[in-house]
Amino acid sequence: MYRRQVRRRRAVLLLLVAVSLTLFSLFFREGSSGGPLHGVQSVVATIFSPFEEVTGRALKPARDMINWFDETFDARGENERLRGQVGELRDELAQRQTELAQRKELGKLDALTGGGVVPSGQEPVTARVIGRSPTVWYATVTIDKGSSAGLAVDDPIVTGDGLAGRVSAVTRGTSQVTLITDPDSSVAARVFPGGSTEIPADAPTGVVEAAVGDPKDLQLNFVQRGPDINEGDTVVTAGFSVGNLASLFPPGIPIGEITDSSLEEQQAYQRVHLRAYADLRDMEFVQALVDAGKGDGG
Amino acid sequence: MILTPRIVIRLVLLGVLTVLVQISFFGRLSLIGASPDVTPLVVMTIGLLGGTVSGAVAGFGIGLLLDCLLLQTMGASGLALLGVGYISGRYREGFGRPRKSAVALLGGGLTMFYVTAFGAIQIGLGVEADVSALVIRDAIVKSVLGGLLAVPVYLGIRLLLRPALIDDRPSARRPFAPRPLDERS
Repeated sequence: MYRRQVRRRRAVLLLLVAVSLTLFSLFFREGSSGGPLHGVQSVVATIFSPFEEVTGRALKPARDMINWFDETFDARGENERLRGQVGELRDELAQRQTELAQRKELGKLDALTGGGVVPSGQEPVTARVIGRSPTVWYATVTIDKGSSAGLAVDDPIVTGDGLAGRVSAVTRGTSQVTLITDPDSSVAARVFPGGSTEIPADAPTGVVEAAVGDPKDLQLNFVQRGPDINEGDTVVTAGFSVGNLASLFPPGIPIGEITDSSLEEQQAYQRVHLRAYADLRDMEFVQALVDAGKGDGG
Repeated sequence: MILTPRIVIRLVLLGVLTVLVQISFFGRLSLIGASPDVTPLVVMTIGLLGGTVSGAVAGFGIGLLLDCLLLQTMGASGLALLGVGYISGRYREGFGRPRKSAVALLGGGLTMFYVTAFGAIQIGLGVEADVSALVIRDAIVKSVLGGLLAVPVYLGIRLLLRPALIDDRPSARRPFAPRPLDERS
């Protein structure tokens, strides 16, 4: 009895294995071109497809709920990874933007000093701003070039946009620059009409000084021939020379643009207002105009 | 297991439902990066409750239906699941009714056997796929999930097939035991 059972069991098993092997051998031999087994499979799949759809729809809420946990778990990991990537990319972007801004600034400096502003006997020395006055007046900055690079007290300092100030103290490796917004600063200047490419011989002149209490505002004081000045006119250094007395700044360096030229103020105080071209809050590179032969070319 | 026509119908329905739920539900779940597979667990349970022949036939049938509905090579799943049913049936015949811990271990082990056997058959049939770390990870996770799901699946199917199970039948009458002589009178 038991032997019969064992024999039957083995026979069933062998039969099933044989059927399985035959099935997938035949199925495989049919290839993708199709055949009877592919036909059977297709019919069965067609019959059961509505049931699959119904089961799928019925179980969708449960499936979504379980998948939600898994996706949330995955999303947390992914979120941390993406945060890391964003941080890295942000650093990279900041570095690229800084490099780009520095390149632009250096380009503007070269354009300014290469455009005939630097008088003969002087040469530009490029320096990096390494320190700023912590007060809101932005009156002084420190640059990374000093006497060893040929800088001396009273050397003019320009940015790519225009005049920034003058050297007020020098060490071997650094210099302090007093900006044109410092109350002690004064620059002889002249005005020429906006859009004009040449400075007329009778251009209005004056002295650019800081406006007390407003670090962004500059004043052109002691203006002569005031009524000729209009908003938008350009103010440049005058660069006068009388005997042994000469201006610290060579002529023709842009300083700023007239922003307020009311007739009343001109008549009462001989004064107009201007805004500096140079972004004195955010300078990265400047050039000092040093005596030729002293500079290292920076 | 006593196979009456009603029980056979239940088994067929169980097989069909298993395949449908596997395709529509478990196959589309993602737990720890893998989908749980209940087909080897159902086949294992039938093998544990009914023995080698029941397990092997159930495995072959469920596998064949699975191959048809998933448009896979016919007979591949059937052969792998047939092995699952046979092994679980042999366990039952050798060791008797299993404990829950044994069911969980068998669930994990037989899921791994099924995944490996199916993969081997596919590779043998020329499916060009590398046994990458991802495949191995998938097999391990599937086995762990199989171990976790094995006990609930086993208990559920045992409840469904209770009328056919000899072990679970309540005894019809108390066995005869004559009272000792000194207690008579």
